[in-house]
Amino acid sequence: MPENEFFAAMGDKIGKTIEKKLRYYFEVKNEDLHDVVNYIFNTMGCRLSTATATELYGGIEVLYHFSHDATGTYYCPRIIMKDKKKPQMKSITPIVRGAEWIEREMAEMFGIDFDGHPRKEPLLTRNNPTVEKLPLRLRRIS
Amino acid sequence: MSMVNNIPVGPFHPLLEEAEYFNIVVDGETVVDIDMDIGWMHRGHEFISEQKSFTQSIYLVERICGICSTSHPIACVHAFEDVDNIEIPERAAYIRSLVGELERIHSHLLWFGLAGHFIGYDTVWMWAWKYREPILQMFEIISGNRNHYGMMRIGGVAKDVDPARIPEMMKILDMVDDKMNMIIKVAKDDPVLRSRLKGVGVLTHKDAVELCAVGPTARASGVNTDVRQDEPNDAYGWVKFDVPVLPNGDVYDKFVVRALEIIESTKICRQCLEKLATVKGPILNNVKHISAGEGLGRYEAPRGEVFHFIKTDGTNRPIRHKVRAPSFNNIPTYVASCKGIPLADALITLASVDPCYCCTERSLKVVDINRDPFQIDLLKLSREKTQQIRSKIHE
Repeated sequence: MPENEFFAAMGDKIGKTIEKKLRYYFEVKNEDLHDVVNYIFNTMGCRLSTATATELYGGIEVLYHFSHDATGTYYCPRIIMKDKKKPQMKSITPIVRGAEWIEREMAEMFGIDFDGHPRKEPLLTRNNPTVEKLPLRLRRIS
Repeated sequence: MSMVNNIPVGPFHPLLEEAEYFNIVVDGETVVDIDMDIGWMHRGHEFISEQKSFTQSIYLVERICGICSTSHPIACVHAFEDVDNIEIPERAAYIRSLVGELERIHSHLLWFGLAGHFIGYDTVWMWAWKYREPILQMFEIISGNRNHYGMMRIGGVAKDVDPARIPEMMKILDMVDDKMNMIIKVAKDDPVLRSRLKGVGVLTHKDAVELCAVGPTARASGVNTDVRQDEPNDAYGWVKFDVPVLPNGDVYDKFVVRALEIIESTKICRQCLEKLATVKGPILNNVKHISAGEGLGRYEAPRGEVFHFIKTDGTNRPIRHKVRAPSFNNIPTYVASCKGIPLADALITLASVDPCYCCTERSLKVVDINRDPFQIDLLKLSREKTQQIRSKIHE
């Protein structure tokens, strides 16, 4: 079973996990993100569907959605950033080229700094000179 | 002598039905680079959905796209149902798959028409749109509407199919099958189509995998991905169909994949209609509450996987609703497929992924936190953006 092999290979790099039918949501530390994504994308051959950033009371979370098409299973690594004023995490674009746009969009919408992203510029308001460089939909910053 | 020029396409251009901007860099006649600029349509569906109840959200997402107006609601109800593992009645499952497949047929026929028009072959355009019309009439028979059918509900569907109208719909499917076989034959035999499409705008298997392409764009590059077979929801686990996958990645293969998919869709529709003539029972389970949690729903729209993610807190509206349309993954493949081809082929290559910019830009919400978010002058912003691009080009 690919999920058993995955959890065995990753060991303690996987934090709190929510398991549902064909869905695995699990927390990953920022320093382990590249190892986990590398295994999911390159070893298991998953496809990145997209990623979701959410503003929570306790911080900002980014949830990547990787689809294992052979089994119809989703693997969703979750990164939680507690500093809402300067959220920063590793970019997975150097591993998954297809993550370029969604990470740029999350950076623009939620003010997340994706460390190592090859093209750090807004996706949606690149040519809008008068839009202030503030997160577009972050509402609870002071 | 090398002569590099920038050719702006858009944001408002006869080729594009929607606002989008491409900066095509050419050296003589050859495209050497392409850059896309999105953000011209300010919609904010995700944000609006988070202010609506679950039932209202389904109607909202139906309006994300006028062409795949049932793919978004199906993915959305799948996400809501995924939170609590809600089952749907058998009859509802067949109706959902029937409507989804009819949408694939009409969307692919629409693309054939546009593709024919873009390469200056208007006969294909007129044929394809002529044969699309009876499919829209089928929607009218099923739902009362030719577009925005309002069929999806959490736990089932809203409207039943009248068994007395099934023979009439079967005849329409027979006609579509005949005509699609004709169009495939034309694509194989016609020297004009072959010369304009064969070997043009190749997206390699490696690029399709790395860029996470979906739908016919990926399947024409040899990537065997289809939500209907990978995670068979609704009636897809009970009907027989094939997923056409072709190896070359050029525009011709994308054309043929879509044509073959129409034939597979008519097979699925026939099996659903046969079952709907015999399977009795309810079409909707009564769902009163969605628990706190996360749900993930997807559906194979005509352009590829539509993805919806829901995070709920136990109230009657989501705290996060993420929408990702297939074009968001497919448009970045231009960087790989357009480089090195003649400029004349670039436009059909751009059209070959069947891009839907409305879907792609569903997420933008311009919020100035210092002001009332609804007071921003979007027209002014748009003009400033155009001016900025113009001055860059003339630099």
